Amino acid sequence: MRTRLSAVTAVIAVLLTACGGTPSTQPSASTGPKADIKVGLAISLTGAANIYGPSQQNGAKLAMDQINAAGGVDGAKIALVVEDDASARDQGITVFRKLINEDKVAAILGPTLSGVAAGAHPVAQQAGLPVIAISNTGVGIVGKCDYGACDWIFRASLGEETALPAALKAAKDKLNLKKVVLMFESDQKFAADGADIFKKAAADNGITIARTIPYKTADVDFSAFVTQAKGESPDAILASGLAGTASKVLVEVGKQFPQGLRVVGSNGFNSPAVITAAGAAAPNMIVGTAWNKASTDKTNADFVKAFKDKYGSDPDQFATQAYTAMVVLADAMKRSGNASDKAALKKALEGTKDLATPLGAFSFTPEHDVKQPVFVMTVKDGQFVPFN
Amino acid sequence: MAEQLYNAIFVGSIYALFAVGFALVFSVLDILNLAHPVVFMLGAFVALFFMSTFGLPAALAAVAAFAVTGMFGIFLDRVAFAPLRRRGAPPLSAMISSLGFAIVVIRLMELRYGPDLVSYPAGSLPQTVLQIGDARLDGLRLLIIGLAIVLMVGLTYVVRATQLGRDIRALAENPRAARLLGVDVDRAIAATFFISSGLGGVAGALLGFAYNAIYPQMGTPYELKAFTVMVVGGMGSLPGAVLGAYILGIGEIAALVFLPAELAELRDALAFGLLFLVLVIRPRGLLGHRVADRA
Repeated sequence: MRTRLSAVTAVIAVLLTACGGTPSTQPSASTGPKADIKVGLAISLTGAANIYGPSQQNGAKLAMDQINAAGGVDGAKIALVVEDDASARDQGITVFRKLINEDKVAAILGPTLSGVAAGAHPVAQQAGLPVIAISNTGVGIVGKCDYGACDWIFRASLGEETALPAALKAAKDKLNLKKVVLMFESDQKFAADGADIFKKAAADNGITIARTIPYKTADVDFSAFVTQAKGESPDAILASGLAGTASKVLVEVGKQFPQGLRVVGSNGFNSPAVITAAGAAAPNMIVGTAWNKASTDKTNADFVKAFKDKYGSDPDQFATQAYTAMVVLADAMKRSGNASDKAALKKALEGTKDLATPLGAFSFTPEHDVKQPVFVMTVKDGQFVPFN
Repeated sequence: MAEQLYNAIFVGSIYALFAVGFALVFSVLDILNLAHPVVFMLGAFVALFFMSTFGLPAALAAVAAFAVTGMFGIFLDRVAFAPLRRRGAPPLSAMISSLGFAIVVIRLMELRYGPDLVSYPAGSLPQTVLQIGDARLDGLRLLIIGLAIVLMVGLTYVVRATQLGRDIRALAENPRAARLLGVDVDRAIAATFFISSGLGGVAGALLGFAYNAIYPQMGTPYELKAFTVMVVGGMGSLPGAVLGAYILGIGEIAALVFLPAELAELRDALAFGLLFLVLVIRPRGLLGHRVADRA
């Protein structure tokens, strides 16, 4: 018995520590002529967030190819150096150090997860190297950062602080929401922050949160949570979670509210895979997003077509934001006059104003956060469509 | 309340199907098979494969999932456990070996299917809702609960009342003695892995059906829960695993229903607090016997 119990204890220890996945290093992008401007791309190709990394890589590469084909930055080509942060904070720090010290990149895009960014961004901040966050939507990425000054960090991804209140406001205006239930994935910092944003936005809009229901990433079944929510007879459910749990919430709402109940979701809901998984329940969703794939704006339509031609599938928001960040970076490099002068590049990035991108007119706020339109979307016939 | 009880029984049934397979291998061979969550995931994908490639109905796809993951279990044993067993490696090595095997398979599945959520073909899953009074019960879940119970009863029958079951129990008692008594030990080991993995695979397919969203890492979160279930029920006891599974399922949902909203965060703390208590107070679990001891 003793050996068995110690075996169990050992397993639990292994499980708790080994959930980071296997770090692996992506071969660096080709190094062409000497004058190449290296740009680091630190993304999650393995680990928990490996859903997003490949999309981001495709988006950034497409932008690089287009920029290089159009003459690069004053004749110099951009060369992406792709590194896998393995969805792990320590690995993120390691690859940031490598990109800065060994590859001597001019700027870095990434990393994929907010939690990894919180570890890796300070490395670049200390080195005085511009970083554009391409998918971090949590709080504390730019502006006021937990680790102190973060004036070298920019963000091209629409934060939850902007997206969630916009979605809730739109829902309230149209549906006259008074009483809601808030569900959130409490063991994910990102989702828990989203819940706080929802709470504040609900208070601002005069909406009562009748009950708050935390759940965990590892929860198997969501019927009990939704049954619990049903007991409050809410006008809608607010839900903050990652994609894996988002579809489960929607599926359960679909089963238990046959007449339909709106779910105002966080960024985790903003995924075509969630629509497919939720099936008939997907149209309940309302979500504030950074991008409308179907937007007929020419910059967007051209991007969607080019992406499809190159990869054979539609881009998702992660690809689009990575693409946009690369475009924004190249634009700033051109305006800076000298791409290797980091201070000049930072200043040029700060001057980004109403640049035409697939996300719409793109600017940076004084806090280095993205300023762009918010698209509040719902689902119809298996596609995201504007809510209004 | 009736709805919540129904929900709890459903969760308990999935935990139970997952945990009995886990407990079976442990009770017979004294190893923790850390590749069990992979088998669970494979079951969901095998069902998907048969449904989307051959247009099999969900029920037959679940049977296929049982058979294929069962065979996979035998393969798993040959690759990850048998070589270690031959050289008498300690159980810890077997555990690590199965963990490594699990990671490799998950990566392969991610290469094939991508890491994102995958869904079953549209319209391939039954969608009936039973309306009983105010409660709306999902028909598919009722089927799943029923099937889980049938499978567990079947397993008990096989272990207790068949020649194969006697061989497995003899093996659990003492492999050397079993071999001397003429038990085909290799066959009994293969059967153990077949049954264990088949049940895990079916559980994966059924949970996949219930949520229509499967992904290569879907089994991972169940591992800690399965440990809890096994420790609470009694290491290696099959009825213990089932009992532990329903206790955990009902306990989790009772915590959700009865805890005041401000304390809702403590739900998991209760579940794992239970694990802790059992380890400290009653280390052999509620029904702590091995299969062999109940002969």
